[in-house]
Amino acid sequence: MPLHDVGYRAWDGRRTGAAAAIAVIATTGIRLVWTNRWLRRAVFFAWSPAIFFAASFFVFEQAVEEGRFTALREGARLGRNIDGIGMLGTVLADTLARNGDGRHVSPEQDVATTRRLVWSRLLLAFMRAPQAVLLAIVVGLVAPTLISRDLRAKAWLVYFTRPVGRTEYILGKVAILGTIVAAITVLPAVVLWLVGVLLSPSITVAAATWDLPLRAVAASVALAVPTVLLALAYSSLTPESRIASFAWFATWAACWIAHSSLTTADLVAAVDGRDVAAATIEEDDGEWRPAPRKRGWVARAAGIDATIDRWAWLSPYHAVGVIQAWIFGVESRPAAVVPPALTLFWITIVSALVLLRRVAAPMRA
Amino acid sequence: MSVGDDDLPVRIDGVVKRYGQRTVLDRVTCTVQPGITGLVGPNGAGKSTLVRAILGLVRRAAGDVRVFGLDPARRPRLVRQLVGVVPEDECTVPGLAAVEMVRYAARLSGLPGTEALRRAHEVLDWCDAGQERYRPVETLSVGMRQKVAFAAAIVHDPRLVILDEPTNGLDPIERRAMLGRLTTLARDHGKTVFVSTHVLPDVQAICDRVIVLAAGRVRLEGSIDELTRPLEPQMRLEASGPLEACEGLLRSRGIGVTRADAGTLLVATNDTTGLGEVWRAVRESGVVVRGLEPAHRRFEDVFLQAIAQPGEAAHAPS
Repeated sequence: MPLHDVGYRAWDGRRTGAAAAIAVIATTGIRLVWTNRWLRRAVFFAWSPAIFFAASFFVFEQAVEEGRFTALREGARLGRNIDGIGMLGTVLADTLARNGDGRHVSPEQDVATTRRLVWSRLLLAFMRAPQAVLLAIVVGLVAPTLISRDLRAKAWLVYFTRPVGRTEYILGKVAILGTIVAAITVLPAVVLWLVGVLLSPSITVAAATWDLPLRAVAASVALAVPTVLLALAYSSLTPESRIASFAWFATWAACWIAHSSLTTADLVAAVDGRDVAAATIEEDDGEWRPAPRKRGWVARAAGIDATIDRWAWLSPYHAVGVIQAWIFGVESRPAAVVPPALTLFWITIVSALVLLRRVAAPMRA
Repeated sequence: MSVGDDDLPVRIDGVVKRYGQRTVLDRVTCTVQPGITGLVGPNGAGKSTLVRAILGLVRRAAGDVRVFGLDPARRPRLVRQLVGVVPEDECTVPGLAAVEMVRYAARLSGLPGTEALRRAHEVLDWCDAGQERYRPVETLSVGMRQKVAFAAAIVHDPRLVILDEPTNGLDPIERRAMLGRLTTLARDHGKTVFVSTHVLPDVQAICDRVIVLAAGRVRLEGSIDELTRPLEPQMRLEASGPLEACEGLLRSRGIGVTRADAGTLLVATNDTTGLGEVWRAVRESGVVVRGLEPAHRRFEDVFLQAIAQPGEAAHAPS
């Protein structure tokens, strides 16, 4: 018998509650999924786009500091792009050109309102374009195994023969994905804001944009809740995690393709002059012009395309994007916001119901 | 009712459970008393469902279950804190080492982090699985996984330990050790142990009481001694010599006797007068007595007889 073998002893300490069980499931789950090499790479890669976006903040704030703000905007209004920062230059130029519509405001006020819009759009573009896509990939790597592997290994007995209920189990699994989502979206966004503040010549930027990190958190929650629940619902439907993975990626791809096809069809119709009104934008000078062309991905993600994306409700990615735009104050038209919001609401409700039912399914067998 | 108000570990009263049209538990009434109780029955008898009913994992169509006075359907969290379960199915969390698995189980059962780790090591040592504690559970042998599952079931110091086929995959030495641990838990630590198994010798070796379940009904319930007792008093006479003569003499004196095997007679008496007649017949017939003791039926025969016939539950007289 080993020296440290003290036999079986009684224990009558104070037990922890349900919240602790959720934390235990989450921390253990995170530790286990973190052993996935591809996940580690993806999370590391998720932070790299922040460097490019930080450069945009720097360019804008530097222009303001050096008194080139008006010149920069005039150039943008004449259609000149801002060189050196790629697609983000388009975002910046469009924002500058669109804002400052000739109203009589003081230069300081003009800078303040434009700064707000620029920062909001850049953060929105950051969260929508690289981060949301990476998130779909990472959730697709992690989520399918979370419940399906438990079903396969009969690990549900580990939980439900102990003081753990369905709700704690699901919340624990949600917390695993929630942490990963936070690591990919909200943390880089908050750090990006912080870097933007640090790169700005004036520290007053922090006071002017203090609410943007909170909006980033809210946008991340809007992204995380429906997508995480949907991914877990797929995982709970099968003990084969690869089937759940396939369903997850197929959903994103199919919805994306459907959205793109219908949007392109609208654009073609508009260009052909059959439905001009649906694809026109009202410019600041009051003239109506057809939508010039299909915008780039990042540009559209940042809210440059002012037309209402009437097919956004079809695709989780686009629906989340519209809601995030609303959270950042870039989009506020009910016709644009309500249908995607309803889609995400129903995805959340149905996924939660499926989860609650399927998690208890092995016990009914 | 708070924990401890009812000292009876498990009280099951008229429980009915149906899966669709199939009745899996049909008015099951039984109790699990302190000590070691065995639950035996053929495949599909409803043993696992009964265990799940005790844990509050299945919804009952009718009846009542109390675990230390608590209804597991209403207070599952509290009941599961009092109960440790070794399921029949291997259930592991892939990727965790043995000690992490046991610690995980402890933490899910409400133990704080440091305590959970300390007890995980202690219990693994006690279960003789300490040498494999840092290996991933899925790479362990079946027997070692069984020991880890047992350690995970008792790490939180439950009052009731439920085991479904606890000796599955264990070699004879390990099997004996496992039965020894169950006995120690019951006798030295005051735990109630409820063992569901097919292995009748295991039941006979360690159980104080047995519940025989077949086709969703309790067929027999009582102590091994009570259940294996013959329907009428009998003595088992083991002897050598002219047993036929002895048999004839006993019959001539009005004592029922049957031949169990070549050297054994079952004599239908156990009172003083009857025993006197037995000794006289032995002396007169010239047989050499090797043993005389109260007769018992083989538990296997009792079990087979109980499950063979459909019928109402038979409770052994207590």
